[in-house]
Amino acid sequence: MSDAEVRVEALGAGDWGGGSLPYAVGSKKFGMWLFIISDALTFSALLIAYGYVRLANKNWPEPFEFYPSLVTATVMTLCLLSSSLTMVMAVAARKREDRPATMKWLWATIAGGLAFLVLHANEWLKLIGEGMRPFSNPWGSPLFGASFFTLTGLHMFHVVTGVCFLGVVAVATGRGKFTSEDVEMSGLYWHFVDLVWMFIFPLVYVLSIHHG
Amino acid sequence: MGEPTHAVHVHHAPKGFIRKYIFSTDHKVIGIQYYFLALFSVVLGMLLSVLFRLHLAWPNANWDLLGKLFPTGMAGGLMTPEFYLSLVTMHGTLMVFFVLTTAPQSGFGNYFLPIQIGADDMAFPVLNMLSFWITFVALVVMVMALFATGGAPLSGWTAYPPLSALGKISGPGEGLGQTLWVISLAIFCVGSLLGALNFITTTLNLRAKGMTLLRMPLTVWAWFTTSILALLAFPVLLAGGILLVLDRVGGTSFFIPAGLVVNEQLVNHSGGSPLLWQHLFWFFGHPEVYIAILPGMGVASQLLSTFSRKPVFGYKAMFSAMLAIGFLGFFVWGHHMFISGMSPYSAVAFSLLTLAIGVPSAIKTFNWLGTLWQGKIQFTSAMLFAIGFVSLFVTGGVSGIFLGQTSLDLYLHDTYFVVGHFHMIMGVAALFGIFGATYYWFPKMFGRMLNEPLGKIHFWFTFIGVNAIFFPMHIMGVAGHPRRYSDASNFNYLSSMHPLHEFITVAAIVTATAQLFFLLNFFWSLWKGKKAEMNPWNATTLEWTVPSPPPHDNFGGKLPVVYHGAYEYSVPGAKQDFIMQDSPEKIIEAT
Amino acid sequence: MSHPAGAEHAEPASKLFIWVWIWLLLLTAVEVVLGYEQYPVKLMLTMLMSLSVIKAALIMAYFMHLRFEKLKLVLTLVPALVVILCLFSIFFFPDSLRLMNLGWGR
Ligand code: HEM
Ligand SMILES: [Cu+2]
Repeated sequence: MSDAEVRVEALGAGDWGGGSLPYAVGSKKFGMWLFIISDALTFSALLIAYGYVRLANKNWPEPFEFYPSLVTATVMTLCLLSSSLTMVMAVAARKREDRPATMKWLWATIAGGLAFLVLHANEWLKLIGEGMRPFSNPWGSPLFGASFFTLTGLHMFHVVTGVCFLGVVAVATGRGKFTSEDVEMSGLYWHFVDLVWMFIFPLVYVLSIHHG
Repeated sequence: MGEPTHAVHVHHAPKGFIRKYIFSTDHKVIGIQYYFLALFSVVLGMLLSVLFRLHLAWPNANWDLLGKLFPTGMAGGLMTPEFYLSLVTMHGTLMVFFVLTTAPQSGFGNYFLPIQIGADDMAFPVLNMLSFWITFVALVVMVMALFATGGAPLSGWTAYPPLSALGKISGPGEGLGQTLWVISLAIFCVGSLLGALNFITTTLNLRAKGMTLLRMPLTVWAWFTTSILALLAFPVLLAGGILLVLDRVGGTSFFIPAGLVVNEQLVNHSGGSPLLWQHLFWFFGHPEVYIAILPGMGVASQLLSTFSRKPVFGYKAMFSAMLAIGFLGFFVWGHHMFISGMSPYSAVAFSLLTLAIGVPSAIKTFNWLGTLWQGKIQFTSAMLFAIGFVSLFVTGGVSGIFLGQTSLDLYLHDTYFVVGHFHMIMGVAALFGIFGATYYWFPKMFGRMLNEPLGKIHFWFTFIGVNAIFFPMHIMGVAGHPRRYSDASNFNYLSSMHPLHEFITVAAIVTATAQLFFLLNFFWSLWKGKKAEMNPWNATTLEWTVPSPPPHDNFGGKLPVVYHGAYEYSVPGAKQDFIMQDSPEKIIEAT
Repeated sequence: MSHPAGAEHAEPASKLFIWVWIWLLLLTAVEVVLGYEQYPVKLMLTMLMSLSVIKAALIMAYFMHLRFEKLKLVLTLVPALVVILCLFSIFFFPDSLRLMNLGWGR
């Protein structure tokens, strides 16, 4: 192509503008979503493992009484669900740039989380008092206590982290720091913790109620 | 805070040694930190393997010097079976997690992913730093496990229970050592999944103007796919790890069945199932092997194209195949469990799905060959390693197809055939990817060239060496030699294979020694190598548009705009035989 | 990036969220009633899990805002989870059922 003439033309950059976001979600929110997916898999694997050992063991106990066990767990559910609602309000307030209201709702959310924790710790102590341990229990398969403590323990750990996280967000919001996306991101995490409980509650509590 | 996408202000490098080199949030520094972490681990892992190879070849020889070094494991210069197993376990763990998962993905990925997509850093720089330090802590704990009182863990890199779950009564090394092992892995999981979500967010959100998905270099596609795998696989290992730790220290029995008698003691556990661990582990484990190799695939594509001066053959097929491999990789974990007692119906499904992975793998292989076809090939060291990668990938992949068939695997499982398979493909093919990447990107990372003749010597020794080591293992496996036996000389039917053991050990020592060429080259060039220009390979991707090494914020405060695909080599009519991705010209041939 | 380009939808009113919250409480109440009445275990499991999935969907759609994001985001995040959960169920449980039939547990 010795005498081929070469034309050089200015080129467009194509349809990707750069800086726009493919999901219309900021990086922090998207990153939190990815974390939630990943964390959800950890919980899924644990719940599946729980189902696996429970199915396999004929001597699986169902020792909880409707009252007080399930009633307490229901109150705990109420705490978490309500704290999710206040969290939504906090996010909405922050979007309106209403920092005082944001803080108010955030502290309400934290209160819900703390109430959950207090009730939960109380319940653990009661069960330990009845002789339930990770390695044995008075009622049947030792894996009952093992999976109960593992699942609720890991969930409790998430609640504790969430409470601390929200505390940081609340304080920072009060000092005029943190964007609305930061508040939203912490909210996503908090709702996720709530969501996990929506599976632990039926599987671990409702299905462990004493018959008759 | 979340405003990194179109930063136009120049970031100034932090002052002070600690902020700049240790607790740095610069993705380039973090990439290099990961690389050195892997370098440390690979040297340690290799030394361990040489030790146990010595034992395999000469099980009754007396190694006085080693006896002094390891007074318990090698009392009187003789290696105990437990010490042998510890060495194998630590070798496998270090290599799989701290080398093959760390160097290609977190090391090179961290350094080059942001630059190749035209970003000034990762989406979450602080999280990035955190991921590295979490991984570092995991390594420290793992090395502690190596030196734990009672001995290093010995239940293999897959840590099958009940052996791994029972604690001290199942043998030395199964006390503190094994506990530290599990904890280290759990920590590693956290570091990896945080890294993965950072990579995914960065790739999706921070691409420069014009960097459409279809213009991304295949390396970026590879790191991206790998991150998705890591994000979805590591949390499951984390769950398994939590349960295993609890079995060990909390007295639970998730993985321990009733009525076990171990070392003449009745174990007081009941109700658990070792199979559950295998499911959880391999659900992670198979995606993990792709986590190790996918970045290598990306690197191979990049290098084959650059050094053949040809576009990648079938770019779209290449990244689609990568995504397909990643996707299918989640459906096949059961091929590691064919004789574990798993449901035989599952085995059929797993077998078929496993063979299906052969299809995208073959697509990739043929496209690599297509890329080479009629190219103006430049045999640089980097290119040699890329070609070696393809060769080893084929060898290892073909043996994988054997193993994927239940009927054959019933016989081949847990023999040296499996060891041969996964070393060919995961061990050395992935390592060749790392080497290729090192020879290719060293100039960019450190501003100096590696020595080419030394690189070629290194390649030939390594390539011939690893084939000499791992090819005979296939023969031994077919002949029925089980893996993980510390001393085969007690078994009549294995004695005829002893010469092969000796041959392999000699080959291993030669190959290990030849790595000195690499280390020498690396450290010598780091200070004394020829200064590297901006684009020594005449490559097209964005990292070659910035100085070597790049400034703190990669592009000097002005993010690039991308106009071209990643592999525009030998475009007819162009001034040179390559067009940089950010070159704003379109070449149109008029006839 | 508090205002990602084009992401500013009309914010749903608080009333909507309060309704979602009420629904979640009602569904929980149904679960509690199920726990009180006690049905055969397979039926219980099916009903409870269906309720949980609905609750989870409500939380994700409204509290976690997914309903107001681009569909693309939902399609990126949710299928991975669903597929993996199906895989777990398909391949883990046959083995545990076999243990059950072997009479595991004393
Ligand atoms: C065509 C693709 C492949 C097929 C069909 C395949 C098949 C298999 C099968 C069936 C096994 C189990 C053998 C046994 O334990 O009895 C196996 C083991 C293994 N494969 Fe592959 N494989 C393939 C590719 C890969 C790749 C790309 C890697 C890594 C980069 C890899 C790494 C491994 C490892 C590490 C093991 C052994 C783990 C252990 O037991 O310690 N394989 N492979
Ligand atoms: Cu596999």
